Amino acid sequence: MNRDGEGTALEAVGLGKRYRRRRGHVLRDCSFRLPAGRICALVGPNGTGKSTLLALAAGLTRPTEGTVRVLGTTPARARERFAYVAQAKPLPPQLTVAATLRLGAELNRARWDRTTAERIAYGPEYGRAYGPEYGDTAGRTAPDLDLDLDPGPDLVREGALRPGDRIRSLSGGQRTRVALALAFGKRPELMLLDEPMADLDPLARRELLGALLGEAAEHGTTIVMSSHVIAELEGVCDHLFLMGGGRIRLGGDPERLLAAHTLLTGPARDLSGHTVVESHGTGRQLTALIRTDHPPTDGWETAAPSLEELLLAHLRNPEAPDLFTEEPEKADEGDEAGPTGGTGDPGTTAATGVTGETGETGEENVRP
Amino acid sequence: MNTGQLSRAGLPFRAGLPLNTGLPWTVLRLHRAALIVWGVFLLAALGTLVWEVEITADAVRERISACAGTGGLCRLRVAIDYGGTISWVSTLVYYSFFAVAAFAAGALVGRELENGTAELAWTQSVSPTRWLAAKLAVPALLLVAGGTVFVLVFRWAWTANRDLMGDDWTFDDVFAARGPALVAYGLCGLGVGALAGVVVRRSLPAVAVACGAMYLVNHNLEVHREDLWPKVGDGVRPESHYWPMHLVETGIVLGVAVVATGVAFWALRRRTG
Repeated sequence: MNRDGEGTALEAVGLGKRYRRRRGHVLRDCSFRLPAGRICALVGPNGTGKSTLLALAAGLTRPTEGTVRVLGTTPARARERFAYVAQAKPLPPQLTVAATLRLGAELNRARWDRTTAERIAYGPEYGRAYGPEYGDTAGRTAPDLDLDLDPGPDLVREGALRPGDRIRSLSGGQRTRVALALAFGKRPELMLLDEPMADLDPLARRELLGALLGEAAEHGTTIVMSSHVIAELEGVCDHLFLMGGGRIRLGGDPERLLAAHTLLTGPARDLSGHTVVESHGTGRQLTALIRTDHPPTDGWETAAPSLEELLLAHLRNPEAPDLFTEEPEKADEGDEAGPTGGTGDPGTTAATGVTGETGETGEENVRP
Repeated sequence: MNTGQLSRAGLPFRAGLPLNTGLPWTVLRLHRAALIVWGVFLLAALGTLVWEVEITADAVRERISACAGTGGLCRLRVAIDYGGTISWVSTLVYYSFFAVAAFAAGALVGRELENGTAELAWTQSVSPTRWLAAKLAVPALLLVAGGTVFVLVFRWAWTANRDLMGDDWTFDDVFAARGPALVAYGLCGLGVGALAGVVVRRSLPAVAVACGAMYLVNHNLEVHREDLWPKVGDGVRPESHYWPMHLVETGIVLGVAVVATGVAFWALRRRTG
């Protein structure tokens, strides 16, 4: 499981952002490291800085404090190597879908993958529907077609896009497809996707997830997806960042994060000595989520929490200490040796000293 | 490495605009409607001038000779028809810098920053600096080319039938439209509009700011044109002063254009990093 040698896709040190017209920091002292090749879910409630973090990583705004590094360099220098899809999926409304894809091709002449872009935009049925007169696999620059062909209902499913459709006439989900097509067509090493699923119907969502997983498996693309719907990304991601209070509060492999926590049920009694993330009692019965790799055995019923339980417990208790199952790299310090020695054991946070374990996992985080 | 970054900071012209990238295509495609409107406007203006000089002028002379017995009023009315049309063309083209400023502040820059399509370009491998450079360079080239053609045609049309026109070289629109000041005002509108768009980041307020700023620049220069070059003796203004006065005004307007453009780049870089 140790993939520390793979390089770093995204890294922040002491990152902070405050907007001039708003009080307080949106991000504050945010540090984390995302190894390359991961599919990372960035979750957290609305307004906790997910979009700001992604915009900073995409080099669209400047941090107030700290630094963010993308693919080992500054966002500005990595511009050609990552893709970013904003939450609002902005696209020029006056263009057709075909012209929008050509825009992507023109702005990324060195690396544009036309076939992939068109597959994402028009769906997997597209090539069959329109045939070779449009499906140029050589990746050459597409003509600015205003096609209005109708391939018939058998080949293209309901709501599918056609090259001649104007962006302004599209629904939210259809715009998302075009925005994602621009991201995929770039053949990026890193995809920063802000709420990519929000407007998609279940079918399109499955299709997108399949495309993302395929891209990651085939090209080793790192994917960061933000969402405020936790369940949406469960089982898909192999890395998780929980945002809250303007920083990353939980970071790492979801399995290890789960393994570091135990759900206790039993008669109410003193839990001091344990890191209690959340506890609530009903009468004499107490239910608590504690952070430990050695669950107490004295009369407690123990269970593995689900990912949702784990995240909700942390959201309800902002005082719970942060936890990273992999140590964020120290910036500009020669000393690489973390407390775990980097031998394959998951790292620990200084805040809690809790060591995660990879042995036991809850049934909720079994991946497909 | 660092010095390279610094030298690029405020200087749009070093940002580089490699024509082998798809950026010029992108700018033309995104603003195709504006390009068509501008092209039609310019062609209509040029066509009107040629039509007036080549076709209407002869008819006007015939009508004037038909006035023979009826006195000066008839003659005057016919001449106003001819001179008035040419005057309208120069007025519209001269003040079209307001439209340029509104376009630059609104559609070109402000709207794209407002709705996020600028950020789309910035994450499609185009740095904000190169994006703005392309956004300004393509319209600037068109304005220079189109403006130059118009100035040459207008100079020809204005001198063709002086006896049929009631204006003279000191009229505001005639003064500007007979030389490079016309092009300079267009470029100034572009620069000021871009600055307003970058700073305000919302299209409608940016349009208002840009047009207001252009009014201040233009109005003050029109009011103080007399002071741009010293008069002869006891307040006489010979026509030979046209070029010195015109070039001083052109220089001032171009100066405003360069400063506004530079500040627009600086502001954009400062925000985006």
